[in-house]
Amino acid sequence: MNDSTSRGSRDFKGGGVSPLPLMNHLYTIIKKEVKELLTKELMMSLVFMAVFFVFMGKMMRSVEKESEKINISILDLDSTQYLQNILSLVGSKEIKVNIIDAKDVKSAIGKAKADSTTVLLVIPNGFNSKLMKMEKVEIEMYSIMKGLSMTETISSAMIKSIVDAINKSIASTFIQRLAPDKKAEDVLTPIVTKDFVVIKDKTLPGTPAMITAITTSQSMIIPLILMMVIMYAGMMIMTSMGQEKETKTLETLLTLPVSRMCIIGGKMVGSAIVAFVMTVIYMIGFKYYMSPMSELPKLAVSMKEFGISMTPLGYLLLGIALFLAILVALSICIVLGVFTQDAKSAQTMTYPLSMIVLIPFMLTMFKDIETLPMGLKILVYAIPFSHPMMASKFLIFHNYLPVIYGMIYMAIFTGFTIWIGAKIFSTDKVLTAKLALTKKITLWKK
Amino acid sequence: MSIMQIMEHSVVVRELVKTYGTQKAVKGVSFEIGMAEIFGLIGPNGAGKTTILRVISTLLQITSGSVNVFEYDISRDASDVRKLISYLPEEAGAYKNLTGKGYLEFIASFYSTNTADKIKMVNRGIEIAQLGKRIDDKSSTYSKGMTRRLLVARALMVNPKLAILDEPTSGLDVINSQEIRGLIKEFVENKGTVLLSSHNMLEIELLCDRIALINDGLILEIGTPEELKLKYKARNIEEVFVSVVK
Ligand SMILES: Nc1ncnc2c1ncn2[C@@H]1O[C@H](COP(=O)(O)OP(=O)(O)OP(=O)(O)O)[C@@H](O)[C@H]1O
Ligand SMILES: [Mg+2]
Repeated sequence: MNDSTSRGSRDFKGGGVSPLPLMNHLYTIIKKEVKELLTKELMMSLVFMAVFFVFMGKMMRSVEKESEKINISILDLDSTQYLQNILSLVGSKEIKVNIIDAKDVKSAIGKAKADSTTVLLVIPNGFNSKLMKMEKVEIEMYSIMKGLSMTETISSAMIKSIVDAINKSIASTFIQRLAPDKKAEDVLTPIVTKDFVVIKDKTLPGTPAMITAITTSQSMIIPLILMMVIMYAGMMIMTSMGQEKETKTLETLLTLPVSRMCIIGGKMVGSAIVAFVMTVIYMIGFKYYMSPMSELPKLAVSMKEFGISMTPLGYLLLGIALFLAILVALSICIVLGVFTQDAKSAQTMTYPLSMIVLIPFMLTMFKDIETLPMGLKILVYAIPFSHPMMASKFLIFHNYLPVIYGMIYMAIFTGFTIWIGAKIFSTDKVLTAKLALTKKITLWKK
Repeated sequence: MSIMQIMEHSVVVRELVKTYGTQKAVKGVSFEIGMAEIFGLIGPNGAGKTTILRVISTLLQITSGSVNVFEYDISRDASDVRKLISYLPEEAGAYKNLTGKGYLEFIASFYSTNTADKIKMVNRGIEIAQLGKRIDDKSSTYSKGMTRRLLVARALMVNPKLAILDEPTSGLDVINSQEIRGLIKEFVENKGTVLLSSHNMLEIELLCDRIALINDGLILEIGTPEELKLKYKARNIEEVFVSVVK
């Protein structure tokens, strides 16, 4: 090349070094990614899903309400003095009792059906006299089923508790009669338990069920949210790569005067934003769906005193761990995205990601990692997503070190994967990789 | 011959070889393009035209040989080259969810350092694209020809020193093709250089200052359309093409 050729283009040099255009480029790419990914169709399906959750939640709640409201009819064939007693025991806000006036059981059932009774109690002739002699008596109970739904089973549990209450009340009067100087309650239940739970080096009042009810809200919901964000972010970045390859806009993008790091970074951040929006919309719906079932026991307040709670530091670490996990997912997907060739194959490429997210999700949910066999344990620790999923379990007990190790591992993992991604982007693999791969597959099929 | 040597070259390609895995797509190609020249690559399907254009656009890595764009070496100074060129891929689309104008703005932000520059660039793009009110519609609603016009506008509005256009008029009707040819001519009059490929022999003859005939990864002939017609005693480039490829 002779010297004169360089004259014209000298003014193009230098401009790209300062950080300002870099930030501008990054911002432009992020904006474009979000616009391309957050389509009207996607928003619509998201809102539809959220509404669906809300609707499901309403359904569940109405089922519960229905099961709470019970109509009980009583047919008294003995004109017992106990009737009033039973009425006062049974009747409550949820239970409406009415006395049926009928000659026999058959006509009573007919009447009970007519005023939508759930249970018909029949007090037999001689009930009173047998009771006076302290002999066993039978009460007939007719549960009137309208269908085979969940509601029916819930109400039979209710009936059982009604019978228990009647039994207890009658037994108490007996005890009172036989041993007036004793408290009926003490005779009926001579042993009561006082519950303690020992976890690690701490002893707390309560049952394991109470403790897990409190901790699962965190140790279950967080992995769930994380799984959603990861899957969506992965899906988004792959879709972005797939679409760009399909329409060849990637070729154009790669010839623009913009650094490869900006392109990768813009895609990662853009996908993360869209994934975050998707997750928030889902969670709003999901929260509404869950809310009737997730009422925490009162104990929660005293947990703090025993050092079983999240501190601000704990929340901070959890936040960082979640953020790192999303970065890991995005960096993996950038590399996987190289092998997609269109929007459709992008969907398929997210399966490997879902697998490595699901394994730790399932294991942390149903198993204690420490109790797994060695091989599985190593596998779980090697999967970067396990660490944020286990994090809240550690953090509740103020056990920070394993979480910090996990974070270091995730950071190294992300750095390494992004490095690989940047390497691939600086070669022509990003345009030609898929072709080579399909060739191999077709060769292999032969 | 002597005139060519005096002229400054915008692109110099020497013994370029490009293989995809084991597939040899370009098998040792040399040519140079002058300043403010329209240089055309013609050849049958699979000849290696797109591969050559993608190499010069910094998309593909060279297997062997060398390519210089102005004073820059394509493998060493890829990011410098990208500031001087503008590449139009064959059968490319735009971002579906952006409007035509939004797409032009997106591209312009990488070439302009201030808002005034950017607005000027986008306005030139809108003028070139000639999509009227449709420029504010999403690009997913455009016809093939409309998309192509948008992309040509995108490629030329940034005023690159070298425009690399892979089949710029493919899929366009006669009128649109003519308009685009006019735009390319105008661009060269303003000191731009164009490297293009085409299957349309008439277009090549009308548009290109010099052409290279490629077959199976090798250049068989280079020259002005007139030179080649004389050499092969042909009435048009189509006849030259047929006798060269045979
Ligand atoms: N990504 C790729 N991987 C493997 N082989 C490829 C790839 N791209 C192109 N080829 C091969 O390289 C050769 C040249 O292809 P190229 O696209 O350069 O041809 P072309 O001259 O542009 O053809 P057309 O006129 O059909 O556009 C062809 O044999 C093609 O199969
Ligand atoms: Mg081609």
